[in-house]
Amino acid sequence: MSDNQTNSTHPDSGEYHVASFVAHAMALQLDAVKDEINRIDGSEVHAVSPEGKIVFTLEADTQQTIGQHIDHLKYHTGLLNLSPVYHQFLPATHNHT
Amino acid sequence: MTINRRAFIKANAVAAAAAVAGVSAPVSASNLITSSDITKLKWDKAPCRFCGTGCSVNVGVMDGKVVATHGDIKSPVNKGLNCVKGYFLSKIMYGKDRLTSPLLRMKNGQYDKEGEFTPVSWDKAFDVMAEKAKATLKAKGPTALGMFGSGQWTVQEGYAAVKLMKAGFRTNNIDPNARHCMASAVGGFMRTFGIDEPMGCYDDIEATDAMVLWGSNMAEMHPILWTRITDRRLSAPHVKVAVLSTFEHRSFDLADNGMIFTPQTDLAILNFIAHYIIKTNRVNHSFVNRHTRFAKGETDIGYGLRPEHPLEQKAKNNGKTKGSSTPIDFEEYAKFVSTYTAEYVSELSSVPVDKLNALAELYADPKIKVCSFWTMGFNQHTRGVWANNLVYNIHLLTGKISTPGNSPFSLTGQPSACGTAREVGTFSHRLPADMVVKNPKHRAMAEKIWRLPKGTVPPKPGYHAVLQNRMLKDGKLNFYWVQCNNNMQAAANIAEEAYPGYRHPDNFIVVSDPYPTVTAQAADLILPTAMWVEKEGVYGNAERRTQSWYQMVKPPEGAKSDLWQLLEFAKRFTVDETWPEELLVQKPQYRGKTLFDVLYANGQVNQYGLDEVPDDRLNDDARAAGFYVQKGLFEEYASFGRGKAHDLAPYDRYHQERGLRWPVVDGKETLWRFKEGSDPYVGVGKGYEFYGKPDGKAVIFALPYEPAAESPDEEYDLWLSTGRVLEHWHSGSMTQRVPELYKAMPDALVYMHPDDAKARDMRRGDLVKLVSRRGEVRTRVETRGRNKPPKGLVFMPWFDASRLVNKVTLDATDPLSKETDYKKCAIKIVKV
Repeated sequence: MSDNQTNSTHPDSGEYHVASFVAHAMALQLDAVKDEINRIDGSEVHAVSPEGKIVFTLEADTQQTIGQHIDHLKYHTGLLNLSPVYHQFLPATHNHT
Repeated sequence: MTINRRAFIKANAVAAAAAVAGVSAPVSASNLITSSDITKLKWDKAPCRFCGTGCSVNVGVMDGKVVATHGDIKSPVNKGLNCVKGYFLSKIMYGKDRLTSPLLRMKNGQYDKEGEFTPVSWDKAFDVMAEKAKATLKAKGPTALGMFGSGQWTVQEGYAAVKLMKAGFRTNNIDPNARHCMASAVGGFMRTFGIDEPMGCYDDIEATDAMVLWGSNMAEMHPILWTRITDRRLSAPHVKVAVLSTFEHRSFDLADNGMIFTPQTDLAILNFIAHYIIKTNRVNHSFVNRHTRFAKGETDIGYGLRPEHPLEQKAKNNGKTKGSSTPIDFEEYAKFVSTYTAEYVSELSSVPVDKLNALAELYADPKIKVCSFWTMGFNQHTRGVWANNLVYNIHLLTGKISTPGNSPFSLTGQPSACGTAREVGTFSHRLPADMVVKNPKHRAMAEKIWRLPKGTVPPKPGYHAVLQNRMLKDGKLNFYWVQCNNNMQAAANIAEEAYPGYRHPDNFIVVSDPYPTVTAQAADLILPTAMWVEKEGVYGNAERRTQSWYQMVKPPEGAKSDLWQLLEFAKRFTVDETWPEELLVQKPQYRGKTLFDVLYANGQVNQYGLDEVPDDRLNDDARAAGFYVQKGLFEEYASFGRGKAHDLAPYDRYHQERGLRWPVVDGKETLWRFKEGSDPYVGVGKGYEFYGKPDGKAVIFALPYEPAAESPDEEYDLWLSTGRVLEHWHSGSMTQRVPELYKAMPDALVYMHPDDAKARDMRRGDLVKLVSRRGEVRTRVETRGRNKPPKGLVFMPWFDASRLVNKVTLDATDPLSKETDYKKCAIKIVKV
């Protein structure tokens, strides 16, 4: 099955990917989840609500890298939900013009 | 410029997420969403291609390709959120092995059942298909023709297929894969309320005080609804969440009361709750007396296996009376459930008494508004219709129904299980708008709307999904067309009951799919199919919400939509070839006409011209048909339900809205049915009216706990439950082709308790065989992770085409709904 997948972009293809997420964390674990997000390369936390919602972005060369990061994150204790909201990429040709 | 563009799209991403979360966005990011002047993306809305939640996504197209998707902030369903599958939606159309040519098994330039798949033209493909269908019709008549469709068909595709099969070919052997998913829910609704689909809607989540998940793992299977539940639970501290399952899963993270029960004993727990409500004097008698009646259902109804199976020989009431019931009164009902005491049910189910009481109290306490959610746990159950009936009982006894926050809610698994499979009626016994082929008045109405001779639609229900496989194997169903599903992976007991039929020398099997699935590879002819936003269509979600979308990209050269395939195939037959003389004499003007002319270019479907499709809008199907075929099919179909409590809005309006919940009366959608004031069909002064039943009363059923078809014994000593995972949608034919999703969950593992593994001298990662009386499958052991079965039960998902767990499962079905029980069979596990 792995042979059948969509073409993955090469890391140095010059693409730029950005994705935004809303995470929902248990109040007691909020800081721990935030720290975990901040440890990821290309991450940025933009807002946190008192109920435990965290708005953050991930930037990377490939969608796969972003996928790996969210795979890692979603098993974090105290993280109840992780919802991707937006994803867009600039292909190499558009990126360089 | 690069930096500007990056900054711009990042600001877009932040603004979208902040809006969704309801937090204030940084100033730089405001007012930027979907502004396309810099990025050159063209955005439009579409419902998600996957589950039955019905999220709306914004789809970004650049240079003819879908390059971005994001949750639609205007959607009342998902309010801008996506789940991980929706996040990767843009990639499902671009798998490397996408099919672009019909493939026919050939040897020496000719069709040969034992030949190799060879690319052929569409003309050649239809030539061979038509020849096989005509030969079958001539030799054996219409009952040897059949079709297996889907709750992933668009409404228009399902409707076109029903017309082609039930009227064109005069066979009722058409069934959707929703039979595996929703049939028990349909049976439950029809039996209790006399009308299909939930009375409430997702708005109940924000209005409720308690939510009970019956078997459902919404955290993985309905993640967007789960975010709404999480939000409700965390923002209103009094709200309670109870989760019941046969194994622990991610939804337990939020549970105030998590309960693991022994498979099949959900029936006993439901009866216990009814008993608890009665015993503690919390029956809402004024509601019960005015709006319900009681009945005792037939018992010992068998397990829907082949008639020669010992369990069917033993069952006393598996014949025609299995769905019957006799009227009883409240006292008789109370006596019936009185044996389901907390102690007895605790012993049976292994759920502690205090947890059972706490659960029952959520239903019994008149101050608590309560929602129940279920999907496959109830539906894929040899007593699935009963389980649905029993959960309605406890909402009806307390009057906790049809008002905001009080909602027994049947979730769905496919994007249009409700819209296409149920509302259009693509089942072997159904017609549109809850009508059935058995009823002469219903057939007459369909024939009138379709402008067809009296007697066109045959009265006998056709072969349902499980029976189709059995009849293929037995050589009684010989021409078979599968669209939009992967049943060789999804059906139970495939080695014994599915594969033999596909390879039977007398049978010709056609499979339409975008990808070479397990099912396609077992076929004789594969047709390459356009998918999702490569065509225009309509889906209907679990809360009665009908949503439409436009075609946004061209499919790969050579791939064609299911609708186009149905219409083109219909052109290959004249009515003289498919109808008997007694029909033709009624409509002599139809002689010599094709099925396309009679069913689709019938003066009704083709009344909307191409002038309604702007030149700059893609619509391959309409241009091929010569008229606005999606609108014509929708409007003809909608005429079945308008004025009959299934009202749909005019087609064009759906393109302006993020969906509308039917019945749509005087332009307004209906959020809560059966309640005066919110449902226009409820009479003045009635309060509530369950108008699906002639007396306006819902039925409370006395139905017992009966054991599963197969339970663990000395040799096969473990329960096996199958199911789904977050990352993959159903058989994985789309999501396994997205690298990120494949990587996140590459293989189906068997989840087992560490003690069970230890007792068998197994460790995490060991290669093992799951063996049942029917077959075996190899996989690896997982003793950690998201699913934690109790001792004595293992769980294995079914998305993995390289590890077909359905070789092991049992094809026992609910005798009433004909839906397979995928949650219970007995297996053993041995080291390889």
